[in-house]
Amino acid sequence: MQLMINEEVYQVADTPDRLLLWVLRDELGLTGTKFGCGIGICGSCVVHLDGNPTRSCITMLSSANGVGVRTIEGLAVSDVNGKKMLHPVQQAFLEEQAPQCSWCMSGQMMTAAALLEENPNPNAEEIRQAMNNVYCRCGTYYRIRKAVERAAEINALSERSMI
Amino acid sequence: MSEPAESGKRRRLSRRDFLIVLGVGAAGLYAGVRFGTPYLRLRLVDFLEESGGPPSNIDAPPDAWFEILPDNTVNLFLPKSEMGQGVHTGLAQIAAEELEIGLDQMKVYHAPTDRLVDPVGTSASNTISSLYTPLLELSATLRELLRAEAAKQLDVEPQELDLEEGVFRLSSDPSQQRTYGELFQSLDEWELPESPPALKTPSEYRHIGRPLPRLDLPKKITGEAIYGFDVRVPDMLYGAVARPETIEGRLISSSAGQAASQPGVIKVVTESDFAGVVAESREQAYQALTHLQLEWDAGRLWQQEEIEALVTVGEGRDVVIQREGNVKQALELGTLIEAEYRTPMAYHAHLEPLAALADVGSEGVEVWASTQSANRLRGAVAEAVQRKEEEVNIHPVYLGGGFGRKIDELAAVEAAHLSQATGRPVQVAFTRPEDFITGFVRPPTHNILRASLDENGQMLAIDHQASSGAVAFPFLPAIMSRVLGADFGSYRGAILFYAVPNKQTTAWLVDLPVSTGWWRGLGLMPNVFAIESFIDELASAANLDPIEFRLMHLPDDERGQRIRNALQAAAKEANWGAPLPNGHAQGLAMSFDYETIMVEIAEVSVENDKIQVHKVTAVADPGLVINPDGVMAQTQGAITMGLSATLLEEVLIKDGAFQASNFNQYPLLRNADAPDINVVVLNSRETPSGMGEPPIGPIAAAVANAIFAATGQRLRRLPLKIS
Repeated sequence: MQLMINEEVYQVADTPDRLLLWVLRDELGLTGTKFGCGIGICGSCVVHLDGNPTRSCITMLSSANGVGVRTIEGLAVSDVNGKKMLHPVQQAFLEEQAPQCSWCMSGQMMTAAALLEENPNPNAEEIRQAMNNVYCRCGTYYRIRKAVERAAEINALSERSMI
Repeated sequence: MSEPAESGKRRRLSRRDFLIVLGVGAAGLYAGVRFGTPYLRLRLVDFLEESGGPPSNIDAPPDAWFEILPDNTVNLFLPKSEMGQGVHTGLAQIAAEELEIGLDQMKVYHAPTDRLVDPVGTSASNTISSLYTPLLELSATLRELLRAEAAKQLDVEPQELDLEEGVFRLSSDPSQQRTYGELFQSLDEWELPESPPALKTPSEYRHIGRPLPRLDLPKKITGEAIYGFDVRVPDMLYGAVARPETIEGRLISSSAGQAASQPGVIKVVTESDFAGVVAESREQAYQALTHLQLEWDAGRLWQQEEIEALVTVGEGRDVVIQREGNVKQALELGTLIEAEYRTPMAYHAHLEPLAALADVGSEGVEVWASTQSANRLRGAVAEAVQRKEEEVNIHPVYLGGGFGRKIDELAAVEAAHLSQATGRPVQVAFTRPEDFITGFVRPPTHNILRASLDENGQMLAIDHQASSGAVAFPFLPAIMSRVLGADFGSYRGAILFYAVPNKQTTAWLVDLPVSTGWWRGLGLMPNVFAIESFIDELASAANLDPIEFRLMHLPDDERGQRIRNALQAAAKEANWGAPLPNGHAQGLAMSFDYETIMVEIAEVSVENDKIQVHKVTAVADPGLVINPDGVMAQTQGAITMGLSATLLEEVLIKDGAFQASNFNQYPLLRNADAPDINVVVLNSRETPSGMGEPPIGPIAAAVANAIFAATGQRLRRLPLKIS
């Protein structure tokens, strides 16, 4: 079957009941999406399905059939000259030096990107609630909140759409 | 990276303090450095005996390796693991300082064990403090060797050369120049100086002390960085291994059953004490595992109360680890105050479970793993596949959290075992329940403190009895346990640093059926929770402000002065004593760990039995600050992790098994409950101490003390719960 991931077409084995996470990581080598718990709690595995933040560790491949999948590898985009441009969320996480080990960060950033797409100007409480379901064991929550606020600022200043 | 080749060029290896070995490779020249100083060796012994570094062969010193490329890029290969603590950046700042290059000219890599062997591992907050001086000396020596070579090539005196960002220019004619890269290329012979060049003083530093951004983050935010779970090689397979359900569970017999005929299965390995499957995909391996026929001995079905009863002051073996004056006598004077505290077992909850990929070939064994101790992995893998250590090459990669757990070699050993059985590379990457059941936990603790106060609230005597399961001993040769008696990992943080004429600390150690070991800070958090809660109780009994009470009991020396400064800075920053919102209160606790001083103030309220931590203010004084933003990040991170342990975490045993096997049963602190954390960084000395663990020490007591201030309720047991 075919998958549309980060605006590219991938051929994958016809295994609709395989979990999307392992197809991404093991079959396609897109290891930026991480495994943490396997039961949809920690949020390290969040990807977008048609823009919706989705836990790939409990999502069957069949759910990705016919929808646009976006992973951390597809969050940055290339400009007309082929130069990689970081997504405002990535830029903000870098500016705030938010990640420590960074294992959870693709889940954090994909969650933040989906939040800002839906709500470009979240207030502090909305950020807390939106980011509440992604664990970070290094304890970077405070910096994550600052980075999401900063991403909204960068986004407001940039011409380019978020996703 | 290219391999260094044998050089036909001459070498002189004469210096006592360290050696530089040159070799010519395809991409450039290499300078590898062996730090063999007596100084460093003493430090290593020190770490082992006093502060809880992981087990190691302390005869072999740690190393670092430079590679200078023709384009003037300096590659620094380090034996220390980057697990988010920022040490690769800190060490690069140190090296760049004396090399006189920009950070953008330097790249940092994990060194594989065929290049460098670090017997210590990455732990005990010692990376920066142990490598600071050697790395400065090495970098300065390298720089001066390059300067001498430049002077020779330009036929001038070395002092006629200016140096900027790795380029020497003749002062009188800047067009005459040589770059590090050129000099490395054309070098014939180096003679090492008898002593290292004079080092800069801290006031001359331009990289050290600046909040430079982390070198590893650009690749981490794009998803490109490779961790242990992520390594992919051609023809690789996936392994899964049968696990017990109980903490004493043991496989007594196994057979393949229907496993071999399951889809994708390449190999089934059943032995008396091991059963595993190798398959084309991860899911196939785990699915086939359920078809094995296994017989387990569950062992004794322990209950939580039994384990807790074992860890009680008075049980097990005791060693007096601190004694000044006569505590017994002095406790009979003045007002006697006594309290006891308990902390539970805790899980590391690193978000990347243990993972490794092994390729056991006829030529050699290659292993990629997220590990805190590549050296330990090398020895364990060599033993498991019966090869010489030199034939095993461990490639450390980024860790998705470590916190002590990733000293464990199990995933690498199992991957090697299964690779040997199949002749192909095999990954073993744990599920979360596997990570729980195969792991070790922070041991449970019980502390009893007694003190007597005179009529002015001055302590006449203080006695501390600290009971714990083992931390370091399970990882050390048995002889260490017999020689040392008390486990330095367990009693970390238990020594009383307050100035009291009569004081005594006794460490009690018990054997437990649960595997216990390293957890960020080791005994630091449990012991500081007990001591600093008790100090707060004493201040309250003396009717004194908790800061005032502490100031009354500081030693009259440099350390005391540093603590005084830190306490005063914290009080100022947190507006200690100023009015707070209704129902809010502040609590303070501090620690002195290695040479790092931490003061933490928590602002807390309690509503409907729910403890809410609104804000934390911390002062961190690690001596010399290498990277202030790194110090802040470690402080914020460790406090947040410590808050999770303070408010939520406990590993419980029921019917011989852990009650929790995943995050649905072992919740962690989440974003909405994590407070803003404001950090003040103090720079007080000429050498750095560690920051990875010290900030986790005081937070539990700071919160408990704030709860007392808010409610009058004294909580003496973690996790804190309002009753």
